Amino acid sequence: MKTIKTIIAFLAIVFTISCEDRLEVVPEDNVASSTVFSSLETINGLVVGIYSKNQSGDLNGNPQLISEFMSDNVNFVGSFPSLQEIDQYETLATNVTIDNTWFDGYELIAAANNVIQNLPDVSTEDVTGLTEDMKTTFIAEAKFLRALTYFQLVNLFAQPFQFSAGTNLGVPIVTAFFEGGDISEFQLERSTVNEVHTFIEQDLLDAAAALPEDNGTRAEAGSARALLARLYLYREQWAQAADLANQVISSGEYTLASDYDFYDDNPNSSEHIFVTINTPTDGPQEAAGSDEVYVNFFNPAPGGRGDAPFSQNLIDAFAAEAGDRRFDELSQAASDAGGNNTFFTTKYPDIVNNASDGMVLRITEMYLIRAEANLRNGSSVGDSPLNDINLLRNRAGLANLGSVDLAAISLERRKELCFEGHRRMDLLRNNLNLRPGGGPESAPGADKVIFPIVDDEINNNPNITQNPGNF
Amino acid sequence: MLFLMGIFSAFAQQKNVSGVVTDFEGLPLPGVNILVKGTITGTQSDFDGNYIIQANEGDVLVFSYIGQKTVERTVGASNTINVQMDQDTQALEEVVVIGYGNQEERKIIQNVGIVKEEAIENLQVVSADQLLQGQSAGTQIVNASGVLGSAAVIRVRGVNSINSGSQPLIVIDGVPITDSQNTLNRGGNTGINPLSYVNPNDIASLTVLKDAGATSIYGSRGANGVILITTKKGRRNSATTVTLDVNTQYSESTDVPDILTADEFRQFKSEVATLQNGTPTSPEDLGLGAIGSGGTDWLGGVQRTGISQNYNLGVRGGSEKTSFFFGLDYQNTEGFIIGNDQQRAGARINIDTDVNSWLKAGMNLGITNNRLARVFVENEIDAPFTTAFLQSPVVRAFDDEGNFLQSGSFIPNIFARVALDTRELKTFRVIGNAFTEVTPFEGVTWRSEFGVDWLSTEETTREAAFNTPGGLAQVVSVREERWLTNQTLNYSPSIGEDHNLNLLLGLNYEETLRTRLNVSSTGFLTDGLRNLGSGSTPTVLNGDRFPTRLFGLFSRATYDYKGKYIVEGSIRRDGSSRFGANNRFGYFWSAAAGWTLSEEDFIKDLNFFDFLSLRASIGTVGNDRLGTFPSLGLFNAGAIADNNAESGVIPNQPENSDLKWEESETLDVGLKSTFLNGRITFNASYFKKTTRDLLLNQVLPPLTGFVSISRNVGEMENTGWEFELNTVNVQSENFQWRTSFNLTTIDNTVLRLNEDATTDAQGRRIIDGAIQRAIEGESLNNFFLIRYVGVNSQTGDAEWLDVNGNITNNPGSGDRVVTGSPLPDFSGGITNTITYKNFDLSFLMNYSYGNDIVIDGLRFADGNDAIGGIVNIRRQNLNYWRQPGDNAFLPSPTSSTFNLFNQRSDQQQLDGSYLRLKNITLGYSLPQSTLDRLGGVFSGIRLYATATNLFTIKGDELDGIDPEVTDDIDPLFQGESFFTAPQAKSYSFGARIQF
Repeated sequence: MKTIKTIIAFLAIVFTISCEDRLEVVPEDNVASSTVFSSLETINGLVVGIYSKNQSGDLNGNPQLISEFMSDNVNFVGSFPSLQEIDQYETLATNVTIDNTWFDGYELIAAANNVIQNLPDVSTEDVTGLTEDMKTTFIAEAKFLRALTYFQLVNLFAQPFQFSAGTNLGVPIVTAFFEGGDISEFQLERSTVNEVHTFIEQDLLDAAAALPEDNGTRAEAGSARALLARLYLYREQWAQAADLANQVISSGEYTLASDYDFYDDNPNSSEHIFVTINTPTDGPQEAAGSDEVYVNFFNPAPGGRGDAPFSQNLIDAFAAEAGDRRFDELSQAASDAGGNNTFFTTKYPDIVNNASDGMVLRITEMYLIRAEANLRNGSSVGDSPLNDINLLRNRAGLANLGSVDLAAISLERRKELCFEGHRRMDLLRNNLNLRPGGGPESAPGADKVIFPIVDDEINNNPNITQNPGNF
Repeated sequence: MLFLMGIFSAFAQQKNVSGVVTDFEGLPLPGVNILVKGTITGTQSDFDGNYIIQANEGDVLVFSYIGQKTVERTVGASNTINVQMDQDTQALEEVVVIGYGNQEERKIIQNVGIVKEEAIENLQVVSADQLLQGQSAGTQIVNASGVLGSAAVIRVRGVNSINSGSQPLIVIDGVPITDSQNTLNRGGNTGINPLSYVNPNDIASLTVLKDAGATSIYGSRGANGVILITTKKGRRNSATTVTLDVNTQYSESTDVPDILTADEFRQFKSEVATLQNGTPTSPEDLGLGAIGSGGTDWLGGVQRTGISQNYNLGVRGGSEKTSFFFGLDYQNTEGFIIGNDQQRAGARINIDTDVNSWLKAGMNLGITNNRLARVFVENEIDAPFTTAFLQSPVVRAFDDEGNFLQSGSFIPNIFARVALDTRELKTFRVIGNAFTEVTPFEGVTWRSEFGVDWLSTEETTREAAFNTPGGLAQVVSVREERWLTNQTLNYSPSIGEDHNLNLLLGLNYEETLRTRLNVSSTGFLTDGLRNLGSGSTPTVLNGDRFPTRLFGLFSRATYDYKGKYIVEGSIRRDGSSRFGANNRFGYFWSAAAGWTLSEEDFIKDLNFFDFLSLRASIGTVGNDRLGTFPSLGLFNAGAIADNNAESGVIPNQPENSDLKWEESETLDVGLKSTFLNGRITFNASYFKKTTRDLLLNQVLPPLTGFVSISRNVGEMENTGWEFELNTVNVQSENFQWRTSFNLTTIDNTVLRLNEDATTDAQGRRIIDGAIQRAIEGESLNNFFLIRYVGVNSQTGDAEWLDVNGNITNNPGSGDRVVTGSPLPDFSGGITNTITYKNFDLSFLMNYSYGNDIVIDGLRFADGNDAIGGIVNIRRQNLNYWRQPGDNAFLPSPTSSTFNLFNQRSDQQQLDGSYLRLKNITLGYSLPQSTLDRLGGVFSGIRLYATATNLFTIKGDELDGIDPEVTDDIDPLFQGESFFTAPQAKSYSFGARIQF
């Protein structure tokens, strides 16, 4: 009997010990934070994940759409109340569209911060296949995407640099990844626009230095320099803007496409510096919020909603000089959601798969930046403003101009980049009313040409400051 | 060998021994087991106490009967042995099942609700939870709806959690079963009833563990109470009986609202439009067709009389060493809603045997195969009841050739939906365990159990092209396997007559793996192509696995002195893969003490009490329903995280390694008494249950990049009283009448919500919903609505109260106040059992008092303008205000409040108090003389008729509305319904034949 008792006790102890080991269960359909940095595949996956977040319609889609209809390029006829609010300069802090943009922006930043903060500590000895070069590139990609997103947020939620030379409030700068601890580190005050711009500049300088010149369709050195050129343009740092744009143009990585087929799911075109690539097999981009926006809003029915046709002002601008291929080849006549006969852009043509790409940075913009910066700076870094503009006009089937001024460059910029989300900032930074003949509500510096800080942020962050205006 | 011996002894001087068995009062005792000791020869006494058995001289006859002392008589020369049995002085010493063991009922100081075989054997129910309804204090069961298979909301002592589920743990023969929601949500967040897989006829008894003294042995899973289900076992030393139960049931709906016919609808719309436009407006002008041009009775069309058949076979018996029970069961149930039916086939085998003097082995195994044709429950355009209420009666369902017509609005032709679409759920479930019991020496038992709960569900949807252009197929296939072992060591040393000690040591390990595959496919050429592969666009919606593991060590010690002073303590250490790394193991404990006053001389001297005891317990239990990996930092993969055909991962859930179970601490005090010679039993208990570390979703600052994080921050308290009164009203030879009554009160208070919770105007933290609001310092469940006053008889305007209590015609969301509570002041049940000669009659009523319900669907079924005015309405809407002095239901069509009338307010809140005749059964057992005339083949035949939900006493405003419905098992949505299908009213007729 004693033997039996001993055996029972022994079995119990053995069983107890072996059971406790089994309580450590590993998820099979998620990657745990404890293991996500332990293989090259998942580390690369973390970086791909940032690109994936960038596909969200609330970061690449809605901001561009809104930029076009808040200004004079698009006559918004859609029925979504949150977009109507914005269209009428009555945006409230509870607006769901901007709420999603705020959330998605900081979700992307969190995903990037995770890589930037934690990847440097990962030893290449512990991860098969990982090299220091790869680490550098991954971190640089994360910095590029983080900078792109901060730039988008500061452009939407803060007055531009011109408002008060960048001393006004921008957006909070988060650099840490939330790992479940204290939330007070994430209840930050807003930094000034200058501080945000400096932060973006540093990220882009780091990225430009570390990224390869050619990185397939992922961010490369030219992407960082191109965005930096845009930042300097917005900040009126003309010399740097011209220099950076020139660096991109002369890098040899990108050339003006001979025609406009780069809009049609062609991310490898030499035109592109950085594209948000949407593919038919993408699936949902996020659990909540908007998926692909471009195709849906910019196309007439069937295939799209028909909410965002050309404005009459833009039609007139093209009509003033006939034969512009950018109108003839990139528009279609159709009736809009309100039943009016008008024109729609064909820059987002993939109505079958609902997966047209988002134009983020392309070489044409670099020519436009170089031209404008040179003109304003009285310089001709790379080439003269006149030559740069004529290059673009020639591709559009238009005759050479004999001379250019700022208005001519701005018009060219508008015709090239319409429906790509530049117009609102171009008007605001040039101190022009967003609407032709518009009132004080759409004038530069008006409270609601920018968005309020969203309610969810106000409610959960005691240190945040709301923008002026009745929100 | 045994067989040969049998033959041999048959050649010996075998003879017929007969006699009469009587009780201590000399009344004949039927059903007494009589066995020739050491053989399998046995019989039972008949209704008049007579028996006859073949035995040899020198054999010993063993007479046994529940509640009577077993008697042994040696067969002598006489052929007659009359036996007078003595009442077992310790009649209460019936053994009941508790957590990981048994205890004498008399000595139990845990608070348990016991539903014995006698209480349920004559109940005809579709699913096992209905056996508990109204039977046990502290256990509230609300059937979700009359839709077959829908889960009941079971609450043991109220709601003890906010986000983690409040359903109790259900343990069948030692196997805690899984109750994940594995099926598609078909409107109404109630899922499929986990107990619908258990054959109610196989159930011998149910024990509800309520206080911490009873539940803490289940550690991290006991906080919501535990329901132990014991299936029927064989009986040692008794003749094998075969019971065949066959019945047919007819069911219909209990109550449906009275809604307008097509012509009434046309008339009403035309009158209203005429008044509003100021010019005569005909129904034709409104596009409703002329009066008399026909329409559809949608509500009539979705109902039917469901005819169901049940067949149940039980074989029960046992020899000296082995006992067994076999059960076979087939149910073909037709619901009263079109398209809703269920076929269930089940088998059970329970067997145990004494291998030798120190080893016992056995197995309990139940297998069920279920096929359920599902219909949507409610608040879905596919839900027959919801859509039939709402669909305009002028819409035609069929064209002249009898083909289905499209409805022309987003509210579909529900007849076409039900007839053409297929929604089938197939389930196969095995629940069972095998055990050995070793008694190495006197007083020590080592029980070793290996159990399994293996559930496989396959839910198939096929929507026809008429309803869904291109058709749709979807298959959700889930397999949930749980393997477990329980090892217990029981030690009862003999330490003298007066001292009784029992020690239990145990170990419990469980592994559960849930695997899910959810695939849909669209683009079918024809409806004849049925399955996923034939669609042009298949999509994998889910494909995942959720493993969890649990490991517990536990111990319990019980000591009593002369059965007078009893103390008990238990402790359990639970480790769970769900808990955070920093809180992987939890300790749960309980301590209890009891005093049997009736053993004391000063009580004995009163000569009043047969039994009187006081007990108290305190202890802790946990709730581990936190999800699979609630504590880990997680990244999502798949389509949501990819870019340009490259796979990626994105952050999904922040890490919270401190995450742990919710913990409840319960104090329980109780009294048990029996007096007037056992005529009256009265039990009362009071409890206070405080739940801490409630899991709440704390909203995170968006700058974290996450929306929320689960943290253990909340605190809640439930207090209540439970009373049970059992009386023997009449006890005579031919007539017996017993009543049992139970009543429960529960008060709930939310003590603390998370710091960042939304606050109300008074600065109190709240969880706000559209209808309910949980307020810190008050009950978790409050209806929080605008107060509706009525239609002003002078002006014809609808009137509400603003937040300050002043009349307003245009209230806003700021005028919401607490208007009611879905929690009853008290609830319970009453059972009466009457037997007169060979007749038996029992009726079970359940009741609920002081609770409110909100029928949200009335926002659509009342008023004129819901969904653009295309929906049908209740008949009382015809009573609109026409002139001053009218006492109208609906405001004047020209009033500015006419279209505001049906906005969400307490107009949709109704008094949910009711008393319902849940079950009434009349039975007739054929007398022995008749059985004899039938050739003695049958040992018993009982004919019975049962009606369920025969009538319900409730307020007038509940006309057409079933008070006993809920559309969500979420604790925050109790007492709410949209248009949940009502309970079934059913009549069944059957026979139970025993031979």
